[in-house]
Parts: sequence; C-alpha cells; structure tokens
Amino acid sequence: MLKANSRYLVVILLLSFLLVLSACQSGTGTSSQNGTNTAGAAADTGGQETEAETASTEQTPAKGFSGTLKVQLVGDFAFEDKTDPVTGQTAKGVKILKDEFEKRYPGVTVEFLLMGWDNYNEKTQTMLQSGAADVYQVPGIANFAEQGLLEPLQPYIERDSFDLGIYLNGQVDGWRAMGPDDQQPEIYGLPFIGDARLIVYDKQLFDEWGVEYLSESPSVDEVMEKAAKMTGKNPKTGEQNYGLTFNGNDAADTVMNINESLGGQWGTGFLWKDMKLEFDSATMIKAAEWLKEAKKLAPEGVLVNQGSENFYKDNNNVAIHLRSAPGFINSLETFGTQDRYQAALLFTHPDKGMGGMFAGSPFAIGTTSQNKDLAWEWLKFSGSEFFQQYMWDEQRSQSMPVVKAAAEWESVKATPQMDVILKQMSQLWAPRYPYRSGQPRYILSENIERILLGEASAADAMKKAQEEATKWLESQK
Amino acid sequence: MSLVNISKPRSQPIGRWRLAPRRESHAVWYLFLLPTLLGILLFTLYPLAESLRLSFTRGVSEQFVGVQNYSDVLASGTFWYAVYNTLYITVFQLFIAIPLGFLIACLINSLRRTSNFFKVLFYIPNATSMVAAATVFLAILHPDGPLNYVMELLGLQKVVWLSQPVSAKWGAVILSVWHWLGFVIIINLANLQAIPVEYYEASSIDGASPIQQWWWITVPNMIGSLTILFVLGWIGGLQRFADAYMLGGLQGSPARSLHTVVGFIFERGFGGSEYGIASAAAYILFVFILIFTYINTKLLRMKI
Repeated sequence: MLKANSRYLVVILLLSFLLVLSACQSGTGTSSQNGTNTAGAAADTGGQETEAETASTEQTPAKGFSGTLKVQLVGDFAFEDKTDPVTGQTAKGVKILKDEFEKRYPGVTVEFLLMGWDNYNEKTQTMLQSGAADVYQVPGIANFAEQGLLEPLQPYIERDSFDLGIYLNGQVDGWRAMGPDDQQPEIYGLPFIGDARLIVYDKQLFDEWGVEYLSESPSVDEVMEKAAKMTGKNPKTGEQNYGLTFNGNDAADTVMNINESLGGQWGTGFLWKDMKLEFDSATMIKAAEWLKEAKKLAPEGVLVNQGSENFYKDNNNVAIHLRSAPGFINSLETFGTQDRYQAALLFTHPDKGMGGMFAGSPFAIGTTSQNKDLAWEWLKFSGSEFFQQYMWDEQRSQSMPVVKAAAEWESVKATPQMDVILKQMSQLWAPRYPYRSGQPRYILSENIERILLGEASAADAMKKAQEEATKWLESQK
Repeated sequence: MSLVNISKPRSQPIGRWRLAPRRESHAVWYLFLLPTLLGILLFTLYPLAESLRLSFTRGVSEQFVGVQNYSDVLASGTFWYAVYNTLYITVFQLFIAIPLGFLIACLINSLRRTSNFFKVLFYIPNATSMVAAATVFLAILHPDGPLNYVMELLGLQKVVWLSQPVSAKWGAVILSVWHWLGFVIIINLANLQAIPVEYYEASSIDGASPIQQWWWITVPNMIGSLTILFVLGWIGGLQRFADAYMLGGLQGSPARSLHTVVGFIFERGFGGSEYGIASAAAYILFVFILIFTYINTKLLRMKI
C-alpha cells in the first residue's frame, strides 16, 4: 500500500513540478498588462471626460502597422484606475493610452510592462539585452546608448520630418547621449515626462516680515538678502522663522546651480574617457561657501531634510525652499495652500542662459526591438497632446508636460505656479550633467557635506573632490 | 489490514524503468528536495560564482582586470571609512544589547505574572521590518522629536541627532539596539528556563543569596547563549544596511557617517553600475566575516 502510494506520490510530484515550472514561464499576458478588457476600460471612465480625451483627434487611422508593441514604463503607473491614498482622487490607468494608440493604429496591440523605481537601471539593462520590450523609459539613457542598446532616432526624425519644435526648449537636447560610434551627443530618446527643480517661497511669511516677494528669476544675492531678513522671531506670530531651506541630500546640485549663476560649469565632455571636471574652480568654491553661509538661515536638521516638513502647509515657518520638485503643486492642492506659495526660477548661467539639473524621463527604442517602426510611432504619440494631457491630468504626481502646447491648456493656466514651472523646464542645463551617472556625483556630494558640516574648508574639500573624481575618471579609461 | 504489504515485490516498473527498492525510496526524497536544490543552485551558487567572475572585470564590456578591483577597494578611503562605521555601530550595538537583553530576560524570568506580556512587548520591535522601524526612528530622532523631549526633561542638551556624524552613528546604534533587543531577550529567556531548578534549590540550602545564585549559577549556564548571540550579532552587524540606509540615504549622510560596507557595495553596484568593484567589495566583506567569526569562535571557545 505504502509502495503504491509512493509511486503515485512520484507521479503527482512530477506533475506538480511541471505545473510550477509552466507557471514560472513568462507567457504573454502573465506579467505584462495587455488589457484584454478594452471595452470595459472605455466604459470605466465614468462620464468624466478628461482633457486628454477631448484631445483625442478624429484623425484617420494609420495603416500598414500590425503586431504587438511592448512598452516598458517605470514609476508609479497602473494599468487600471487607482485611487491616491493621500488625496483620495482616482487617476485613470495607462489603459487610456493603450486604447487611444490602438484606435489610431488598427491591428496593433499595446502591452505595458510596468515596474517600480527599485533597481530600474539593472532591470532595464536586462530587458534591453533580451529584447523584452520595444519602447523603454530610460532616465539613465547615457549608459544604455553608450553600450549600443538604443536606436539612434535622427534617421526616423528626418524620414518623417518630425517637428522637434513641439517640445519645450532644451527638453530634447537634455536627453542627448553618445552611442559607441558617435563623436558628439545625438538623439536617442524623446522626452515624455518633464521634471525640474524650482525655488518656492511662502508669500505669507514675506508679507508678515514686510519683505518684497522674490523676483521671477532671482539672483543668489537677492535670495540671501531676503532670507536673512526673515530668519528669527516672526514679527506677527512670534514663532521662530527660517529664511530658507534646501535638500540636504542633493546639496551638491544646489551648489552646482549656484556655481552656474556665478559663470561656472560642471566641466566638459560626455563619456568618462574624455570628461574634464571643474569641481575645484573658483566659482565652485565660492558657491560652496555661499551655501555654507545660507545654512545658517536654515533649520538645524537641513542636512538630513529635517525641520522643514511643514513647508507647503498652513503652519510653515520657512520662507524660501531652494529646491522644490514640481510635484509641490499637488501638495499645495492637498493642503489648500495654492494661493500662499509661489515659484521662482533656479539660477542661470549669465552667458548660457540655462541652469539646474536636467531631469525627467524619455522614451527610447531598443536595438533588440523587432518592431522599430511601430515603436517610433509610439515615441511620436508620446509627444502628442492626447498623451501629454493624459500625463498632466492623471499622472501629475510624477510628470510635468514637456510640450509647448501645454501652456495653453485651461487647467495649466488655472495653476498659478505652472507658468514658472514650464519656463524652468525650458532652461535646464542640457545635456544633463553626465558626471552624475558615476562616482564623481557621490564624491562631490560627500565633500559638499563636509564643507556644510564645517569639517573642511571649501577650497580644501573641492580640491579633494576634484582629485578623487579625476582619479576615478582615469580608472575608467 | 496491514499498511505495508510485505508479500508484494518491493519495486514495480514505472513505464520502462525499474528502480531498485532502496533507490526508489531515496528517489522520492530526492524529488522532494529537488525544488530546494534547484533554488540553491540557481539563486545562491550561480550568483556567487557569477559575482566572483564579475569581481575580476570592469565596465559594461566586462573587461578582465585581474585583481585590480580588489586593490582599488582596499586602497579606497571611503571603503575603510565604511568599515569603521560598520564596526562602530556593531560594537556598540552588541555591547549594549547583549548585557541589557540578558538583564531584562533575568527580570522577566523572575516574574510570576505578566512575564508573557513583557516577552511580547520586548519582542514586537524585532518582528517589525527594519524599514518601518527606521521610518519611525526618523521621527523619534527629529530635532523636535520625543527623544530630544525626554533629554530636555532630564536636563540634557538637545541633540540634532542625524545632522552630525557622531550623533548620527549613535542614532543608528539606538535604533539597532531597540530592534535587536527582543531577539536577545527571547534567546536568553529560553536558556534561563532550561537551567535546572535543582541548582537553585541546592544553593539555597547551602545559604547562597539571590545575587550569588545569579552570579555562580545563572551566568555560567548562559555562556552558550551569550556566545551565539555575540557571533550572530557580529555577522548581522557586518552586513548592516537597511537601518543605516534609511537614516542616512544612499551615501550615508551626513558626510558618509552612516555609510556601511554593504552601503558601499550598493552605491558602487546599483548607484554607479560598477558591478566589478561591488562584487570585489562583497568578497572582501565575506572574508572579513569569515575572519571575525573564526576569531570569535576561538576567543569564546565555541563549538560549531
């Protein structure tokens, strides 16, 4: 009896094992969101027509395309609608994009491969090498382009005479990268998620202190002077106020921006092998000293982002935030303080007219894609008003528009800070700082923190940063 | 009805195969082990071998560079500062948590009632994820947080815990002690309850005081538990990452004061795609753990 049972057990176990193995197989539609319920998805919009939907043009469906287009998206995307736990607002899922694209390209099926930010570079690398998708969201574009994993887009742009003028100034150039055979940065991706950092200030505190609001494009001296006036006991409320704050974690980026306003720049080159850094320039040292001085006007825990948690709220006690992400407009909406806070532009280089770390996300086509023409159509679609309005309406917490047309949207006009945000996105330093992709970023950051802690003088720390970073660059050749 | 029909042949053919009786019996158990063995092979042994290979390469092209990555790591000031931070936090964690946990375990063991309540109370932090615990500690260690409130009540000066290198490290020590204390108490309690009560009865008859009993009976019988806690604590401490990462971010701010060895590996591997350097640092950490564990077991005369 036991023997008979053991034979059955062997057979059952083998079958179970095969079942488990087959379940592990990445068949179509298992891990990806291919959205078979498109009919239902259309009905789920609940009658609330978004601006994205109104932008869905009645254009003639494109012919000659077929097959499945796989699109990888990184971040807080969901295929179905989902409700924000903080605001309670429901955002429509990316199925809206799938439906619209499939309507424009009959016979085509879009599959999304959605993933979070955890180790996204490593995951994207694996996907690019194995051809897991056709279109990729690649904020780390330079690394992949250098390996020859991304398709150069210039031939497609020329073939279709695609107008890059639809994008905000600098948004295309910001994502330029160099492939293995390139002599200069070329276009490997088109922007679809915009991002920037801005100066944001609390108008109420300015009023209480009797200080004039910041100008739209303030100088470092203006910021320091006004922040100094607003540090101390508030003349009306009597509570302790701080003139300014910044993000301690990326204080190095703030220093770099101040450096730009003083006429300096991070360095030159693009690939590690021909990169020259200017961390120990006179302007960098001056910029670091400026931030060390400004730290005296900030809450005690500024280096670890403590002490300014109430910024954007009603009970705020900090006048100026030197480095706010554009998502702050969502915070203002949540706290009902849209009229209390205003934005100003980051500092700009006097000659180049740009400044501040470029950020966001572009789409690119993998060289392993089997459907490159269709992938290119998706890239063009991502710059369409329909796509951009969907991102603005439904994904505002993680995306700002990258097209000029956004300035005319009613909901954009109704947001008081958006005018400055769009301007800021048009004047970010492009191409983006390439040194941030490796050790020089961490070396600079560590030494800026040492200056702010008073462990080293600005000159010594910047000299050390330059030496260490240059040594690291040498090791990469 | 007999469960085992011994009159039947011990083996029947399965298709064309016929296994020897003993082999068939073993085959079943190997089949049971197969998923685990495959898991170990694919997710432990293969990554280990691949990591070793990567540690001799550099760049996206994985160019062979010999032991260059190892020498670069060992010559890196950042790496040795990360080693110092790791040892600093670990040493204080062990030297605070183990004696304190032992004392609390003794107190709980002496309770006639409510001992279970205290067991649960002290063990809850250990059952909490380190990420969640560290998030709470970010609030506790806030300049206007409850820890500073208590310090001010005691007449002590307010500390901006995470903004200065030394106090930031102590913030990590406090967090790690709080998180690990429950485990230390539970292990000690298990051992305390295993000490035969006759020892205490005999010593009472001989006139030993409670303190003498604790010193001459309890402590010697606890050496095994304390030793294993020390060794496990060292190994876990050298691998520390989550607490320091949550409090100090990727770079272990401020000024790398919370940058640990695993943080170094993480930054170089996932922050800069330098997998060769990260793999070499991982193997160096492995050697460190091996050496420390060997020394610990020899010093503490532990039999493993």
